[in-house]
Amino acid sequence: MQSSRLGEALDFERERRREEELKLRNARTGINVFQASWILTFFTLIIANIQLRWSSPAWPPLGVEKLDAALPTVATVGLLVSSVLVRRGFRAIRHDDLKGFLVQWRVALGLGAAFIAVMAYEWLTVTPAPQARVTLANGVEITSVLTQYNAIFRVMTAFHAVHALVIAVYMAVVYRNAALGKYGRGDTWALEAGAKLWYFVVIAWLLFYVVLYWL
Amino acid sequence: MASVSVPLPGAQAAPRPKLGEYFRWSVDHKIIGVQYMVTALVFFIIGGALAMLIRLELLTPGLDYSGTGSVYNSLFTMHATVMIFLWIIPFWAGLGNYIVPLQLGAKDMAFPWLNAFAFWLIPPAGVLMLMGYFVGAPEAGWTSYPPLSVLFSGDGQTLWIISLHILGISSILGAINFIVTIKNMRPEGMGWFQMPLFAWSQLATSLIQIMGVPFLAGGLTLLLLDRVAGTAFFDPSRGGDVLVWQNIFWFYSHPAVYVMVLPGMGVLSEVISVHSRKPVFGYKMIAFSSMGIALVGFTVWAHHMFTSLSPELRIPFMVTSFIIAIPTGIKIFSWIGTMWGGKIRFNSAMLFAVGFLSQFVIGGISGMMLGAIPVDIHMHDTYFVVSHFHFVLYGGSVFAIYAAIYHWFPKVTGRLMDEGLGKLHFWVTYVSFFFTFFPQHLVGMQGMPRRVAEYAPEFQTLNVIISLSAFVLGISTFIILYNMVWAVYRGKVSGPNPWRALTLEWQTSSPPPAYNFKGEVIPFEDPYGYGSEASKAYLDEMDTRLTPANLLGKGGTASGNPTPEPVAGD
Repeated sequence: MQSSRLGEALDFERERRREEELKLRNARTGINVFQASWILTFFTLIIANIQLRWSSPAWPPLGVEKLDAALPTVATVGLLVSSVLVRRGFRAIRHDDLKGFLVQWRVALGLGAAFIAVMAYEWLTVTPAPQARVTLANGVEITSVLTQYNAIFRVMTAFHAVHALVIAVYMAVVYRNAALGKYGRGDTWALEAGAKLWYFVVIAWLLFYVVLYWL
Repeated sequence: MASVSVPLPGAQAAPRPKLGEYFRWSVDHKIIGVQYMVTALVFFIIGGALAMLIRLELLTPGLDYSGTGSVYNSLFTMHATVMIFLWIIPFWAGLGNYIVPLQLGAKDMAFPWLNAFAFWLIPPAGVLMLMGYFVGAPEAGWTSYPPLSVLFSGDGQTLWIISLHILGISSILGAINFIVTIKNMRPEGMGWFQMPLFAWSQLATSLIQIMGVPFLAGGLTLLLLDRVAGTAFFDPSRGGDVLVWQNIFWFYSHPAVYVMVLPGMGVLSEVISVHSRKPVFGYKMIAFSSMGIALVGFTVWAHHMFTSLSPELRIPFMVTSFIIAIPTGIKIFSWIGTMWGGKIRFNSAMLFAVGFLSQFVIGGISGMMLGAIPVDIHMHDTYFVVSHFHFVLYGGSVFAIYAAIYHWFPKVTGRLMDEGLGKLHFWVTYVSFFFTFFPQHLVGMQGMPRRVAEYAPEFQTLNVIISLSAFVLGISTFIILYNMVWAVYRGKVSGPNPWRALTLEWQTSSPPPAYNFKGEVIPFEDPYGYGSEASKAYLDEMDTRLTPANLLGKGGTASGNPTPEPVAGD
């Protein structure tokens, strides 16, 4: 009697572990699929950017300054460093090194915040779109094509910044939870998800950075 | 013909969820599945009513009730959007939700909470879209081409965009759920190629969704900004380019056509095999062709733009459009091969499956005609196109939905639908469908443009035939709705496995209990191995395992359940 009850308890425990493992495996697959899918919205904006270039006689259009890449490049390097730190921090906590984790992520979050601030500054100070009126050969007066270059820049950077901001806030929350010791030993899924999402932010930005500043 | 199995001795309908549970937040995939399907049916009726109004306007060549024609514009815009995004796509999501975890022997979907969230995005999005009628309805067609959708459409267009955004998010979340469920939650002993073909088709569909919908989301974002934030990405007078929208839109929306029809093809594979009592002919070819359609579907989008594309780009897209006919043809061939020499029982589900075959082939062939550049340039934006896609989406998707309803209704409710009514429904639908849409080929080839409320008087005879058939088609829908409501309360008790099917969803009670299965799940080695001794032995063993005592956990019959009767044989 006693032993069969013990056996039941063991079965129950085995079943519970199996379910937990499945849950974690599902969460991992789920976030991978989500990232593979959602990155395509960024591709869509890149496609729009490229097609607008093709249909414009010059890019950047005449009379519009090319975007200055200096400050954004510094911010991009900062972002890349932050992703390395996020990775190292996550490795640290998997080896139960809470302190190492906190230090690395603190710096990473600071770099992320700096990146968002730089891009907000760029967004606000990008050469305002001139509203020049141009008369076409057939006598029709139109507003100059100069708007497109800056408009698509603003849409792309804002679209990216929204993602960066939301994910940075999520990372700050899980950072705080980890600092307060809310995650048990080996229970690092919330941090892993944060790290994965941050890589997503970085990769999406690298694509945009190349298209916006170097293409 | 094969004998239809009667319900097991003493079988009874398992307890059903209470009606109120369907109106509440629930994370049970079976509740969510029904919520999806019933919501979709409500929107089907709304979209159908809009179609009836369209056909009413087209009874006479002149303008009847739609004034300047803008009422008519809003009608066909709403009709298309409701039917695509609120009827067919959510219905398949719902059916997949109900059936796929059962077919995999799983307790639920991978992310139950996310599943419920994805569903509950749909009703508000639908209401938001229909609210457009109160603020100036969208008039740019479901394709929403700029500059029409930016400069000439009411504020309802903005609601339309937001609504589609929400529906897109719902689609992506649902698709992620399906992919993870199918990848991770198959039972031991079920490899990829022991998986039921309906699950394969849902996997292919979900892959299309996660690859396609983000493009729609990006495009809609730009369109929204053009409407509300003063940008001009699609406004040529300010340096924009309308082709940006056309490319992005069709890059999603052509694959979306396969989102609507692939699950139907999965249903066909199930229904035809079960009711022909034969193994699926070319199982792997059907599975691979689903994947093939999903991939090649992303390379054909510009055939919608032959008239706006630079000529040298047309040929490659014509070639890819023809290539995609190959996997589709493989499927049709396999289904006919499955039926060949089988002991076919022509019940309602099978009739609709065979109906799908014939109508879909017509739609596929007219699709090939339109894929040829010279023909397309002649027929672009005529009623021929309307005819083509209704053969594919009504004769295809909706017929498959009907087949699915007749096939799985016993599993969902524990009751059988009335076969007589089912057959009546089939024949009325089949004939009125044909006379609604086939004559549209003719008026289209003669040059009647689509999306215009008026037409030349010479087209009137055919248009009257079309409209009258359409009204009959509209009414025929109520036969199945009545049949469903009737069967829920009065239908014969089905027992766990009325069709003697081998897939796992039938190896549990109808409807399945909480967490779906009692005890261990043992899939049969081949989900379509009908006609073998082993499969008979397996089914017989299941019959003994699935007695009421085992299903309900205690012996005897629960009170209040009618005595099961034998199913009328065919």
